[in-house]
Amino acid sequence: MADASTIRPADRPRRSYLYRVLEAGGANFMEINGAAVASDFGGTAGDELATARGMAIADLSPLSRIGCKGSGALDWARAHGVTIGGSNNTAHLQPGGELAARLADTEVVVLDGLKGTGALPHRIETEWSLDGADGCYLVNRQGANFWFMATGAHAPEMFAKICAVDLRQAKFPAGAIAQTPVARTNCIVIRADLGGVPAWHLLGDSASAEYQWGCLADAMGEFGGRPVGIDALRRLGARPE
Amino acid sequence: MAQDNRLPPPHGLLIDRDKPVSFTFEGRRYEGFAGDTIASALAANGRWVLSRSFKYHRPRGVLTMAGQDGNSLVQLPGEPNVLADREPIAPDMAVTGQNYRGSLDRDRASVLGWFGKFMPVGFYYKAFYKPGNAFKFWERIIRAMTGLGRVDLTARPGYCDKAYGFCDVAVVGGGPAGMSAALQAAEAGAEVILVDENPALGGSLAYARFDGDRGRADALRADLAAQVAAHPGITVYADAVAQALFADNWLPVARGNRMYRIRARAVVAATGSMEQHAVFRNNDLPGVMMGSAAQRLIRLYGVKPGSRAVVVAANDDGYGVALDLAEAGVDIAAIVELRGKPGTGPMASAAVASGFRVLPGHGVKEARASRGHRHVTGIAVAPLDGDGKPTGPEERIACDLVCMSTGHAPNAPLIYHGGGALAYDGETAMFAIKSLPDHLFAAGSVNGRFNLDAVLADGRHAGRAAARDAGLDAGADSEALADREAANQSHAFPMFPHPGGKDFVDFDEDLQYADIVHATLEGYDDIQLLKRYSTVGMGPSQGRHSAVAAVRIAAKATGRPVNAVGTTTTRPPVGPLKFSHLAGRAFEPVRRTPMHHRHLEAGAQMMVAGPWMRPAWYGAPAERDTAIRREVRSVRENVGLIDVSTLSGLEIRGPDAAAFMDRMYTFAYRKQPVGRARYVLMTDETGVVIDDGVACRFHDRHYYVTATTGGVDGVYRTMLWHNAQWRLDVDVTNATAAWCGVNLAGPKSRAVLQRVCRDIDLSPGGFPYMGVRMGRVADIPCRVLRVGFVGELGYEIHAPADHGEALWDALLEAGRDFGNVPFGVEAQRLLRLEKGHIIVGQDTDGVATPHEAGLDWAVAGTKPYYVGKRATLIQKQAGITRRLVGFTTIDPNAPVPEECHLVVRGAEILGRVTSACRSETLGKVVGLAYVAPGQAEPGSRFDIKIQGGRIIEGEVVPLPFYDPGNRRQEM
Repeated sequence: MADASTIRPADRPRRSYLYRVLEAGGANFMEINGAAVASDFGGTAGDELATARGMAIADLSPLSRIGCKGSGALDWARAHGVTIGGSNNTAHLQPGGELAARLADTEVVVLDGLKGTGALPHRIETEWSLDGADGCYLVNRQGANFWFMATGAHAPEMFAKICAVDLRQAKFPAGAIAQTPVARTNCIVIRADLGGVPAWHLLGDSASAEYQWGCLADAMGEFGGRPVGIDALRRLGARPE
Repeated sequence: MAQDNRLPPPHGLLIDRDKPVSFTFEGRRYEGFAGDTIASALAANGRWVLSRSFKYHRPRGVLTMAGQDGNSLVQLPGEPNVLADREPIAPDMAVTGQNYRGSLDRDRASVLGWFGKFMPVGFYYKAFYKPGNAFKFWERIIRAMTGLGRVDLTARPGYCDKAYGFCDVAVVGGGPAGMSAALQAAEAGAEVILVDENPALGGSLAYARFDGDRGRADALRADLAAQVAAHPGITVYADAVAQALFADNWLPVARGNRMYRIRARAVVAATGSMEQHAVFRNNDLPGVMMGSAAQRLIRLYGVKPGSRAVVVAANDDGYGVALDLAEAGVDIAAIVELRGKPGTGPMASAAVASGFRVLPGHGVKEARASRGHRHVTGIAVAPLDGDGKPTGPEERIACDLVCMSTGHAPNAPLIYHGGGALAYDGETAMFAIKSLPDHLFAAGSVNGRFNLDAVLADGRHAGRAAARDAGLDAGADSEALADREAANQSHAFPMFPHPGGKDFVDFDEDLQYADIVHATLEGYDDIQLLKRYSTVGMGPSQGRHSAVAAVRIAAKATGRPVNAVGTTTTRPPVGPLKFSHLAGRAFEPVRRTPMHHRHLEAGAQMMVAGPWMRPAWYGAPAERDTAIRREVRSVRENVGLIDVSTLSGLEIRGPDAAAFMDRMYTFAYRKQPVGRARYVLMTDETGVVIDDGVACRFHDRHYYVTATTGGVDGVYRTMLWHNAQWRLDVDVTNATAAWCGVNLAGPKSRAVLQRVCRDIDLSPGGFPYMGVRMGRVADIPCRVLRVGFVGELGYEIHAPADHGEALWDALLEAGRDFGNVPFGVEAQRLLRLEKGHIIVGQDTDGVATPHEAGLDWAVAGTKPYYVGKRATLIQKQAGITRRLVGFTTIDPNAPVPEECHLVVRGAEILGRVTSACRSETLGKVVGLAYVAPGQAEPGSRFDIKIQGGRIIEGEVVPLPFYDPGNRRQEM
């Protein structure tokens, strides 16, 4: 693995949709699955951790994710080792740290864990074929969606400025999913706390990534929110509180 | 300046005496305290004239101290019409008056008051329009005279935003009823948002007197406010105004620079009531105010409102006002009791016991003014006769303060907004709630409760009912206490018209008693007509004080009951609301392709294409035409690449994919070979062309279909809508953002692609025109389409979006030796026009059919069905009325026609130009136009009416203009 100080997103063929914004914000990058992921923004680990507990957003777009869609999608995914909940709009943690978000009777999205191994999404992709997966069709979520994470106690207040769904912890429990406009773009919001700190995955139109990042940055400003890197998220996830 | 009128603590609940604030009014510096409003701080300094009235320019001052009137409108540097009795002072704030000529104190325009008799209600409907051109003369004068305040056209927008709020029960109003309701609902487990317009909770408890000793109100306010603050289930939005109540319990609440959008399961309106003024001559003088306004000045701001007061009372509140004034050191000259005898409640008893002079059965003849009408100096009263007229011996009482406590009206806009109804109750002489919509509850004086115990019980009752309505177990119901005091709150007709006028009913519009009578007698006797004719209730205070008086006068003038006159419609917003609140933080999504920044780095001028940004051309704006020509030449002679990521992609997969495609598009797809692309044309049920693109068959059960930039969402929606009915075994996925696309076009494009693509046979035989392949380009997994929109050898390369920038970089680099340059949308439009390709939406319109658009070749006549087939067949049989053709101008030097220039025959319009350009490649003007069917044959000539009405001649030519044999794109 290359030295973090030498990793430049533009050197990789697969790039985050907003790597320039991250660079301008002072991000350092680490390599995950051949892509550059913002690891931190130059602050101390303690600072970023504290920010993440209060209000932060992180770009996870380079991490792997994949979707299965169609009348046979859930059965096929289950048959290939994905644990999927019994009701729509719920997300289930997988043994490897991945998350399977059931969006409908006919659709599930699998998000890689913060370790970034990409193992489960990759396995799904390689085991799937149009001839061999009756009623199940892969969806290129990697290309279709940006993937951000919002964390911290102030995140529900921040979301209340851009999203009409009540995402407060008491009303939107861990594992809950909302498919709803956020700042007027369609998004998937998934509550997935990290070590006791409330956290929400946010997936939306990849072409709107910079726009959405700007909206989030603007909305979280009054709460002292800042971007953090994946390091801070990993630390949060590693230490139950 | 000394604050001579400032009272010592405990007066002044809202001010912080440790924080002095200095500001200016009309250029003069004043001192106040943090927490003061502009009006209270000025009053503390003895400054009472705040504004000039709209029509007669009469001096106006404090009326309600509650933001309920237009008398206190002032100007701030960036903002007109600010309510001085609501706006807090700030350090060095520069406040001025408005609507005056000269100075606020010496307004030259006040001479208009002398001509009042010549400006009766509605006079402007009857004047100014004769003789014929008279209004042009008067308009300038009227426009110069009207309007309040100055808008700063150079002001920059401030930052306002919006936020959602969520709760089970929203309580509007933080007075005794509202706090009781909130606590009761919260105790039942409801999540409560309590909205109050004041900076501190308490409502009337904070300033009014409910008993002879006001200690109970103070203690109760402190206790309830503490309970609310301590309750975890209640969130308080103070200094916030619930501006409306919309469907499904949706409350927009303005607070500071933010508009909250609160969605509640149930709503309690505890919005209180508004004191109503008495009508008598000169009732608008500074120093004449509501009794509650004087109490607010005393209690909230620690300001002594006068030295010697007369209280005009028709209820026991007036006696409470007298008691408060006396405690503040104001001499009580008299209590002019409109009723036949003094009140008997605790406050009246205490006042009488205090020795105040009470004049029962008296009315007001007029208030007297100092020079220039700048303050009240006395009042003339007289005993009332049997008709309620002050006809007895007149007594003149010197005073500098007149307080009016003659009645109340429910503050009920939210109830109206929600669909509730109010009607006049003759017994209480007030409007009362007759019905409430589902999920809306009312409590307190808005609900006709005035006795404090009844108010508290009513609040608890409403809070419990709202919690229950929100689905919570709120326990057993309780009976709201009926309130016998309600019958003694409002006088039925506290009005004393004066032959000299200036007895104002509506302060905003300077409408006097006689104005309302005259309007009524002219036939405008329904309140809706009366309102529009006289403008009563249409000013800034929106009838808060004038509406009840107006309907009473109209009723009396026509001898009808008040309810027969009707009620006005109350619409949002409840209070003044800035456009910035409505506009707020606007969200305008912008879609960018993965290569967006590369375009900017290359100097592209970006253009909006639906939700996307696309490069129009590369170069400076001034070099537009040169840049486009350069880009066109590069594509025709060498190679160019354009970002086509916006063209959209739909994945059609499943056993019924071919059948689905056959139904959705006009062409035939069942027999389309795998590895081939085919044009797609979509029509709606009426046979109108709505989209086009290319279908790539990668598997017998998989089509990858492109659509137009702006059309894909509609196409996707249409597909889902139809298949919800057809139930074909097919999955449709909108993969637009998942894939990016680059069109590499030009005679050298194959050579360029060969440098970065090793695993696809790119030879003409191995990868022919309209072939599609999957492979790796620059080691990126791609879908490659050999299509030719611009009429040259070309490849559309689609890659996962997160690889888009790398793909762009690789293709640019690979083509560097071949003169490869990026080209923009403008060059592409020109290139495609030379090739005669249409753009749906530009060369078609909302009624264009395939046969009209020259797309007959893309319609499969033999298949049994496609969306729009029946309509298309009917149109074909009926014959078309126009036809899209290619044309050139007879005069090669003629100006290039523009889109929508008309094709004419004399005065008859036959069609229009849809696209046209001067082709450098072809050395002539080429274009597309709808012409009459009889003009569609090549060689036919037709007239085009261009800019300025000039006619130029066009000639129909066969399409395509460029490379008619298609050898270049199929090489």
